[in-house]
Amino acid sequence: MQLGIEKITRTRLIGSAALTLAVMAFAAVADAAERVTVVMDPSAAQTNRAWATGGSFDLDPVFQRLIGNDPETGEYDNSALAEDWETNDDFSEWTFRLKPEATWHGDWGAVTAADVAHSYEIQTGPDALSTGLQALQGAEVEIVDDHTIRFSFDEPRMDFDFANAGRGSMYIYSKAQFDADGMEGYDTNPAGTGHFRFIEREPGRVLLERVDGHWSGTAPDFEELELRFTVEAATKLAMLLAGEADIAVIPRELQGDATDQGMEIVQSRQPSKQVIVMPDGLFMKEGDPAFDPELPWTDVKVREAMNLALNRDDIITALYAGEADKLVRYGMHEPHEGYVPELVERFEAEYGYDPERARALLDEAGYPDAFAKPVIPIVSTVAPGSPEYPALAELVQFYFEDIGLQTEIREMDWASIGAAGRGREAYFIHPVQNAPIRPSHVALTNVFLEEGSSYHGYEDDELTGIVEEMARTIDVQAREALIREAFTYAFENYTDLPLVSLRHPVAIDPETVVGWTFPGVTSDGLSHWHLIRTTE
Amino acid sequence: MLKFLTIRIAESLAALLAISVLVFALTHVSGSPVDAMLPDDATPAQAEALVQEWGLDRPLPVQYFTFLGNALQGDLGQSLKWRGKSATEVVLDHLPATLWLGGVAILISVAVAIPLGVIAAMHKDSWTDGVVKMVALLGQSLPPFWLGIILIWIFAVSLSWLPTSGRGGLAHLILPAIAMSWFQIAAFVRLTRSAMLDVLDAEYIKLARIKGLSERVVVWKHALRNAAIVPLTYFGVLAGSILTGSVVIETVFAWPGIGWLAIEAIRGRDFPVVQTVVIVFAIVFIVANLLVDLLYAVVDPRIRRA
Repeated sequence: MQLGIEKITRTRLIGSAALTLAVMAFAAVADAAERVTVVMDPSAAQTNRAWATGGSFDLDPVFQRLIGNDPETGEYDNSALAEDWETNDDFSEWTFRLKPEATWHGDWGAVTAADVAHSYEIQTGPDALSTGLQALQGAEVEIVDDHTIRFSFDEPRMDFDFANAGRGSMYIYSKAQFDADGMEGYDTNPAGTGHFRFIEREPGRVLLERVDGHWSGTAPDFEELELRFTVEAATKLAMLLAGEADIAVIPRELQGDATDQGMEIVQSRQPSKQVIVMPDGLFMKEGDPAFDPELPWTDVKVREAMNLALNRDDIITALYAGEADKLVRYGMHEPHEGYVPELVERFEAEYGYDPERARALLDEAGYPDAFAKPVIPIVSTVAPGSPEYPALAELVQFYFEDIGLQTEIREMDWASIGAAGRGREAYFIHPVQNAPIRPSHVALTNVFLEEGSSYHGYEDDELTGIVEEMARTIDVQAREALIREAFTYAFENYTDLPLVSLRHPVAIDPETVVGWTFPGVTSDGLSHWHLIRTTE
Repeated sequence: MLKFLTIRIAESLAALLAISVLVFALTHVSGSPVDAMLPDDATPAQAEALVQEWGLDRPLPVQYFTFLGNALQGDLGQSLKWRGKSATEVVLDHLPATLWLGGVAILISVAVAIPLGVIAAMHKDSWTDGVVKMVALLGQSLPPFWLGIILIWIFAVSLSWLPTSGRGGLAHLILPAIAMSWFQIAAFVRLTRSAMLDVLDAEYIKLARIKGLSERVVVWKHALRNAAIVPLTYFGVLAGSILTGSVVIETVFAWPGIGWLAIEAIRGRDFPVVQTVVIVFAIVFIVANLLVDLLYAVVDPRIRRA
């Protein structure tokens, strides 16, 4: 009898243990459907104030802009707060009509034009650091009615839609919340209009919760979105492999390790970044005191040789595991205006790897004797989201020295390159990235005008004239022609060394996440968080 | 004793002032925070506006004395990366995590190293001593960041026994605390072993044995107390090492303490936070050494009377 009782007890214990394990397993699966964890690099500014960030904003899942982007094509659409928008003939006036059904998280009511006006004021104010701020500033704002708002400028603003879409600076914040709680409300419990509401922020982590019954009629298939921020790439990979993260933004050199362990790589639907090597210090406008003729790359033959020296196929294999396309021209992107297919056809003939021709060009240019400063400084740096730049610098050095160019590697941090550029003291070559890929006219303005980006290095009177005329032109066909002319001029004058066009990859755990559709049009490449699809 | 304490405090304040000058100068040498904060397409006009807003166009001595004057009133500036928060607030938010991790690491170091050092000394030249010396050698030669990653891969990824990173319960503390204490254990073991070997040869130890005291009492009460001066001296260095080591360990383990904060602030050229972190580090180091000096006096009566 005692043995029987012991047997029953043992059976009960085993059964209880099995049941407990089953419940725990079920709970683990349920947790996977309840929360998706994404681990990524920390953003430059960790704040709920979008205007205080240089581009990458942690709370992108919480807030929306006026204009949305199609998740597949990246084209502007009305998936955000604006039902539609229109501009006058010269693009100096933009009118947006808001969706009347759009509402704030919490009890802050419907989204109105007053919210947009308020958001414009704080995000173009003196402490705004947002990328593309120039494209936003300078408007006179008119609230036409509760759901219509007009921005009027003194000059044409062809890129105002860009400034209000995925790449843009202006997230919409609640005026009612600001009136009630001030900036503290934004800092502690910001109300947005996105598919996720803010729950909490703590060092290294942001927790968001799905908005059930979202005004758009769509909802994510998981309850919570956790964003975790880690600098160390190996740790991010470890989190993914250990099941602590469902999605990890890891550098390309670790993606093979992830896929070897059963993870999958998902890429943005569209290219999200262009990378070039920029020979800086080409201040070649008439009488520019910053111009130094002793730099070898001031000679177009030397710049052509530098381009012909690069084996772009090998660079793509070595740095990007083959997952990149050759870039023909910085800023030129097929969906955007001014695309020149003829340059694509000419690329291999005029930029393709040809070290023999490169050496001949250097001889024709008289290198090195013709230049008092024959050594080319190649900057080794790390830019946000681009850990491959130090390796790129070494590869470029290898190819340059193979054709006889004298080089040196110069280590600089990314911000210092910009500082040197602003001070017109950047006499070196360095990587430049166009991320996300800006509209053609924005890219040209940034990279070829003195008042453009700090990370630019080529100026001459002719190209400046073309770009400035383009900036003034509102006729669509005339602009298209000018943009094509600018791209062609830059192509033929070897203003830079175009390298690659990249999509934005993330590693996913297929046991919990089956896919994520995003176009790659934001500063850090990620968006459309509600389109993360889980196994549930 | 009071005179001793007064002099030590005055010296500490002077050291703190010198450190504030050094850190101010060094952070500004690395470049302007404007360059790190602005997006790539920022215009020169935007940069200029920011420089003026943050007073970065004023001469460096003016900036320093403004900073010093404010610091003496407890205002170490506004964070440039954690907008809306003061630098002090940001550092205080992260300090408990480091104190917690550092405290556990110190406990592990002391609890593991001192007994190991004593045992190694008692069994000098035996295989036990050899093993302990090998542990010490590994501890001082393995880079902490490498060790941290290895620990993650073994215990979190392969065995799934512990979490990889982040802050949470006790389980989250184990791996970073071990990684942080590893080097200290090695140093402590060697110091303790060396000190014990010296003491165990002393005449008073021989007398204690002759008088019939048990070996356990001889070693753990009489010998260790006298040998403790040497590892105690290292304790002040240990506090500093734990803090400086926190920069690497907290980054690897994404542990949101002030070491992690220091890296983030440096990356973002958040001057006020960097300065505040260094000043906090300096204060902790100085206070730890002050306490060590006081403990010295407590442990060794000869120092009290000197």
